[in-house]
Amino acid sequence: MNKVENTAINSYNKANSAQVSLQTFVNDPYKQKLQTGLGSPNAPDIFFNWGGGNLEQYVKAGQVFDLTSALNGDSTWKKSFIPSVLNTAKINGKYYGVPVEGVQPAFFFYNKDVFAKAGIKTPPASWNDLLTDVDTLKSKGITPITVAGSQGWTELIYLEYLLDRVGGPTKFQNIVDGKAGAWKDPAVVTSLTMIQQLVDRGAFGTNYASVNWDNHGTQTLLSSAKAGMELMGSWEFSGLLGTFPDVIKQNKIGWFPFPGGIPGGTGNPKDVVGNPDNYLSVTTTSKSRDTAVDFLKKTMADKNYVKDLISIGQVPAIEGIQNQLSTGSYGDYNTFVYSLVKNSPSFTQSWDQALTPAVSQSLLTNLQKVFNKQMTPQQFADAMDQGQ
Amino acid sequence: MTTRTTQRLQASFVRPTVTARLLRGRRRERPNLLGGLASVVWLVIVAVPLYYLVASSLRPSSEYLTAGPLSIPHHPSAANYSTVLSSGFTRYLVNNILVTASCVVLVAGLALPAAYAIVRSRSRFVEVGFTVMLMGLAIPAQATIVPIYLMITRMHLYDSLTAIILPTSAFSLPVSILVLTGTLRDIPGELYEAMNLDGATAWTALRNLVLPLTRPALVTVGIFTSLGAWNGFLFPLILTQSDSKRVLTLGLWNFQGEHGADTPAIMAAVTLSMLPLLVLYLIGRRHLLNGLTAGFGK
Amino acid sequence: MTTSVNSGRPGAIWAVPALAFFAVFALVPMVLVVALTFTTWNGLGSPTWAGLANWKHLFHDATLGQSLWLSFKLTVISWVVQTLVALPLGVWAAGRQRNRAVLSTIFFVPLLMSSAAIAVLWSALLDPNFGLAAKIGPWLGVKDGNFIGQPSLAFYTVAVVIAWQYIPFHTLLYQSATRQIPEVLYEAATMDGAKRLRQFWSVTLPQLRNTVVTSSVLMLVGSLTYFDIVLILTNGGPGTSTRILPLHMYLTGFSSFQMGYASVLAVILLVAGTALSLVVTRVTGFRRMQSQREGL
Repeated sequence: MNKVENTAINSYNKANSAQVSLQTFVNDPYKQKLQTGLGSPNAPDIFFNWGGGNLEQYVKAGQVFDLTSALNGDSTWKKSFIPSVLNTAKINGKYYGVPVEGVQPAFFFYNKDVFAKAGIKTPPASWNDLLTDVDTLKSKGITPITVAGSQGWTELIYLEYLLDRVGGPTKFQNIVDGKAGAWKDPAVVTSLTMIQQLVDRGAFGTNYASVNWDNHGTQTLLSSAKAGMELMGSWEFSGLLGTFPDVIKQNKIGWFPFPGGIPGGTGNPKDVVGNPDNYLSVTTTSKSRDTAVDFLKKTMADKNYVKDLISIGQVPAIEGIQNQLSTGSYGDYNTFVYSLVKNSPSFTQSWDQALTPAVSQSLLTNLQKVFNKQMTPQQFADAMDQGQ
Repeated sequence: MTTRTTQRLQASFVRPTVTARLLRGRRRERPNLLGGLASVVWLVIVAVPLYYLVASSLRPSSEYLTAGPLSIPHHPSAANYSTVLSSGFTRYLVNNILVTASCVVLVAGLALPAAYAIVRSRSRFVEVGFTVMLMGLAIPAQATIVPIYLMITRMHLYDSLTAIILPTSAFSLPVSILVLTGTLRDIPGELYEAMNLDGATAWTALRNLVLPLTRPALVTVGIFTSLGAWNGFLFPLILTQSDSKRVLTLGLWNFQGEHGADTPAIMAAVTLSMLPLLVLYLIGRRHLLNGLTAGFGK
Repeated sequence: MTTSVNSGRPGAIWAVPALAFFAVFALVPMVLVVALTFTTWNGLGSPTWAGLANWKHLFHDATLGQSLWLSFKLTVISWVVQTLVALPLGVWAAGRQRNRAVLSTIFFVPLLMSSAAIAVLWSALLDPNFGLAAKIGPWLGVKDGNFIGQPSLAFYTVAVVIAWQYIPFHTLLYQSATRQIPEVLYEAATMDGAKRLRQFWSVTLPQLRNTVVTSSVLMLVGSLTYFDIVLILTNGGPGTSTRILPLHMYLTGFSSFQMGYASVLAVILLVAGTALSLVVTRVTGFRRMQSQREGL
């Protein structure tokens, strides 16, 4: 992804007198760096964020420049973005960011060789199928599902999907809106219980709590056929492409949506969770604000940029690119992701981006404890309800 | 030395030949098996991770997953080292040197006059100041990160090497002053008086008497401060941001994040981060280690 | 010729630069941190007044008790383990035999490594699937190499890594101190027929008393600040099983962005550090250490 951004930056710099440069950090330190950076006189001009609640806190602190007039004034620019994705950067009726990468729903990746060897002919289509496959893989001595337990956000995807499947998207909306008792809803407890049942079933193996995502622990296990599946956001594809290109080029990795068919569940099995997109926003204190906005206008929907994004397996949140996607490289994957998003009635944003940092922190810590059987689902609900 | 001491020492010198023969004979008869065994165990505990570090760094990345962690690399290569060096490590090294050198100069320049004043001046103010400094030994630096972050940003020093140098030096002051006052106290008062009688000013006394005699302690202070500044992590973490201001420790952590699956490259980065100190260590090991503990001998 | 009492003595002004510098960068923050406990601040913008809200929150912080307990446990365990290993090792290393010098060279290498370097190295070693932990785990009864992921085991693993980092330094202290023990004492003991073990108990240990105190003071006060390694190795996890107090404070401030409450935790850390330091130095008479070599 960095390469694509650098290409875009280089072409912009060549074509314009003002110059742009890129600074990168890893996921977890980035959020802290951004927070402290924005609070300082060395704030960047443009910064990467997750929209929704994550962007909202910066907006509340007056750090973000309102892009509404820039967008409204250039309808070609505005119309190129998929509206539902652009709207995640809409806070209090105003636009504060534009999509920079692709839509990023979460779903299951799986190793085709592992499945074949275990005699699993097709990926699971329902929850019960998934459980059966877990048992099959376990009996063959393979870790059925790999999860990076040393970081809470990778485990969060399970809770996000299960809550949606069990109770529909309104359950989380209640939590975001701060409705009383939202955390103690029975659907929350049920979802967590199901997670612990998965743990007890051996679905994640035994040492998942030491596995780390930032250093590609799960990718390594999945690619080296030591694990069967991984539930992760669509960015995992370009990640695998970067670290283990052979396994993608040899078509060893497959994908399937998070199954529905949970007994007693009321959620739509087509709902997705994940990151609608990532966004670039401009800081109010930027001394080169016009350049920053100009860069965004000229690059974010530029056809070369979009083409580059597609070539690394990203599905940009741009309208009307179906053809480009299916005929481009990794067409199957990109079409899968695009239709998943287009056909979903609801796209819930990752909870740790939608909620405040303080709540996200305790959410992740407590969820880790649930996964490690250090906390019961009810204790989790009580703790989150009390703001612990 | 009193007469009694001298006599006892002389007495003990009278007997050496007998004693020495006895002792030498003894030691050759019974080697310290238990001690030897324990030291070998500890050697394994220290050396195995270090072996893993170097061996992995020389392993081509593609081999890492298949070869065992402790196996000898089949095709040792320095490719990982060039990967690391081309990722900006030289810049981090330069930053590290700048920060460390500045801290040493700042600390030595502040601590020596202060220690001198503490030992020789009769000021109540200085006495109180010294006590406060000693209490400072107990201040955990982490406890101050929030206010220091606030201060540094308000001083417009955020994301600069200066931002690292200032608090790091400040927290090295108590130990340095402690070591220096210890040494200065050992200089007999008569020597100071002698200089006074000759009409020397405090400044002259510092230059001609104090400086030469405190050289070992200054080396200790220098080494202590250097080690602390070189390996500092917390202040750089909070107070810097851009790549051009990164020090080795942060660069290393960032490198681990970016190259996560490439363990051999990460191990090469770790080795490189230690290399300057390791070289100094191999050259002047005795000096380095003596310097570290000279101040604690009393 | 009369000389005034103070001629040739440095005046107070000599100490002012150091004191002023220390005051600005160490004392002022201490005062500020107390002031910040009465504010709400998320790192952006300016702190806003919050009265006693953060202090009241102390009583509702479910993790605080665990953090304090973990810090206490880590301090005690570190002190016991590190002293028990460093003391005999230092004495052994003080011997003049050639092989001891060679081995000692290796022993002291960890001293040169930054906390970040050590933590990154051990992260790789402790990888449950591809690191040393995968190989050695079964021998130690941890079948799946899951050292850093099991809540109970993670804590002890962190303690081990920290010991690995600091034992070399304390070994050095003991080695240096042992080398300064005069030979005459050992000769006298041998004269009296004492064997090696007896000599260790009756000669070496008493002579090392001051060093034990120095080493222990450094360990106890330092243990409150074992931060870097824990941050990089576990980030306080799994869950909160390694979330010692400094880490709890850092995460509250720079992850949850609740700087006001983080300041409260910082104050607790400060008070604990100062109290511990006072108690230990008072009890052991650190500042007034008597020479062990009187009469020689």
